[in-house]
Amino acid sequence: MTVSRRVRRARALGLTLLLLLLVFALLGLRVGSAGDRSLADGLQGVMALVGVGEPLEGHGQVILELRLWRVLVTIGVGAALALSGGLLQGVFRNSLASPSLMGISSGAMLGASIAVLLVGGYGPDLDVQQVAGSAPILITVFGFLGALGAAFLVTLLASRGGHISVPTLLLVGIAINACFGGILAAVQYLSLQDFEMTRAVFAWTFGTLQDRSPYHVMLLLLCLALAALTIPFVARELDLFAGGEEDARALGVNTSAVKLLAVVAASLAAGAAVAVAGQIAFVGLIVPHMVRLVTGSSHRTLLPLCLVAGAVFLLGADVLQRLWLGDHPLKPGVLMSLVGGPFFLMLLVRNRKVIQGW
Amino acid sequence: MVNLLESRGLAFEYPGGIRALDGVDLTCAAGELLAVIGPNGSGKTTLLKLFAGLLEPLRGEVLLEEASLASFSARERSRRIAVVPQFLRSLPDMTVEDFVVGGRYGHLGLWKQETPRDWEVTRAALADADLAELADRLLLQLSGGQRQRVLIARALAQEAEVLLVDEPSNSLDPEHQIRVFQLLANLTGEGRGAVVVTHDLNLASQFATRLAVLCEGRVRIIGSAAEVLRREVLEPVYGPDLRYGSFPGSEDHPFVLPWQEATGR
Repeated sequence: MTVSRRVRRARALGLTLLLLLLVFALLGLRVGSAGDRSLADGLQGVMALVGVGEPLEGHGQVILELRLWRVLVTIGVGAALALSGGLLQGVFRNSLASPSLMGISSGAMLGASIAVLLVGGYGPDLDVQQVAGSAPILITVFGFLGALGAAFLVTLLASRGGHISVPTLLLVGIAINACFGGILAAVQYLSLQDFEMTRAVFAWTFGTLQDRSPYHVMLLLLCLALAALTIPFVARELDLFAGGEEDARALGVNTSAVKLLAVVAASLAAGAAVAVAGQIAFVGLIVPHMVRLVTGSSHRTLLPLCLVAGAVFLLGADVLQRLWLGDHPLKPGVLMSLVGGPFFLMLLVRNRKVIQGW
Repeated sequence: MVNLLESRGLAFEYPGGIRALDGVDLTCAAGELLAVIGPNGSGKTTLLKLFAGLLEPLRGEVLLEEASLASFSARERSRRIAVVPQFLRSLPDMTVEDFVVGGRYGHLGLWKQETPRDWEVTRAALADADLAELADRLLLQLSGGQRQRVLIARALAQEAEVLLVDEPSNSLDPEHQIRVFQLLANLTGEGRGAVVVTHDLNLASQFATRLAVLCEGRVRIIGSAAEVLRREVLEPVYGPDLRYGSFPGSEDHPFVLPWQEATGR
């Protein structure tokens, strides 16, 4: 694909996705278990929040704000997971790499759960609001550290002589997922006698977009912005990684710095997403694939588009299931696993020839 | 003549104490095509990687226009030295033009956006490598010979004065082998220097300015084709199963054929 054609396609896709995002965001403000609100109500509530005009009457303003935080968190989580997947697939030159398959999400999950234990303590006095509201910084930091630790552990164990073998990477990812899963089960077991604690930890396990606060939104968007800031410093370089790391070095790329920056950014994004909304698998696997199908594999268009496409994908799924399933929507982690599992299988079947050659 | 690239007492060991090179002194001047020949495992590719700055020498040093190669940043180095690998570890899913413009990386500014000049140089490189018509084609759709020329085109886009080429004629048919070597010879004719690692003694004889024989990590001899491609020089390196000859009027460019007496008829 020529550059101008690629850029034209990327722009067209970007605009379409932004429009879709706007539609889903407005729908997200309108629908919910507390009843449908009109579009005018939604806009009035948002304007009131930024200090323009009167707030909605009764509980209306509170309900609208809760929906707004949910929409913004969903946008941020989708964007962060998709960006994380796009970065990891570029660094490891493999379309099967993603934060959940490589154990990064499990690491973040484990870190966040440990933080929940630390914040609340192991005892009957845990206040979930304290965990969900005033201590998100600690949970995010632990989530990020867990994600980063898992990323480096997987990379270290899968590399030999500076070369990372893809099958080893995926197998190590499975092993790390299993190890962290075991520790996580132990953490959950420890909290079983305490209902509030169990609820808080399980919320992270299944992923939750409910009851998010402005703290969550700010933290998530801050981490996402930091991760996205790396795009201009790694995107061109990741394109050059496509021919192999040594080839990229010969072209003048500081491959160690790029790998470090990309893995840290991917861990920060995935860690923040998991710390704020729990484990939501497969977004980081599916979204980069879908974008690549339309615009090609250049990371200069792929990574920015992953941000918007990830947001549309998760918000769209969340809003549509709320519309269709009404008061009993699935947890986002469960929903994404139902969609992502078959997608992953399809990917494996489609790439059977390549995989057999590994 | 100024040496573009020079190695002084170059030595290298792989992990486990496996000695690959030991005290290699070589020079490559502007306008020169230096062919490095030698048996498998003699250290040819290691030498190329040391020249490219992709490996750190155990001892000795590489000089680029008399300055230590280690003093150049990776991007500076890529503006001066271009590597043409034998093949890529994985074939990128991109068009020929997108791939070749990657050679401009060392010239890009902070935001890594290509300027009109970068595209101009890329198009000129594609034309020089006879690839202009394939610019929009995906790499996956090209033949082996075309891919080899794409790798050379990318090196040309780097506008480097030194080309390091690893076995450019491998897996190519005779016509493409000659075309690739002719292209390299033309490029050195324009003032560049090229170090070409090859197993093809006859193409080296025909196109190289000088040949260096590497064996067990040491340079055995450096000289013209007529000086190097002789039984006394090559038999200790490759064994006895070679036949030597030359065409009338081309005695400066002898040919060498692998030929086993017991089976040859």
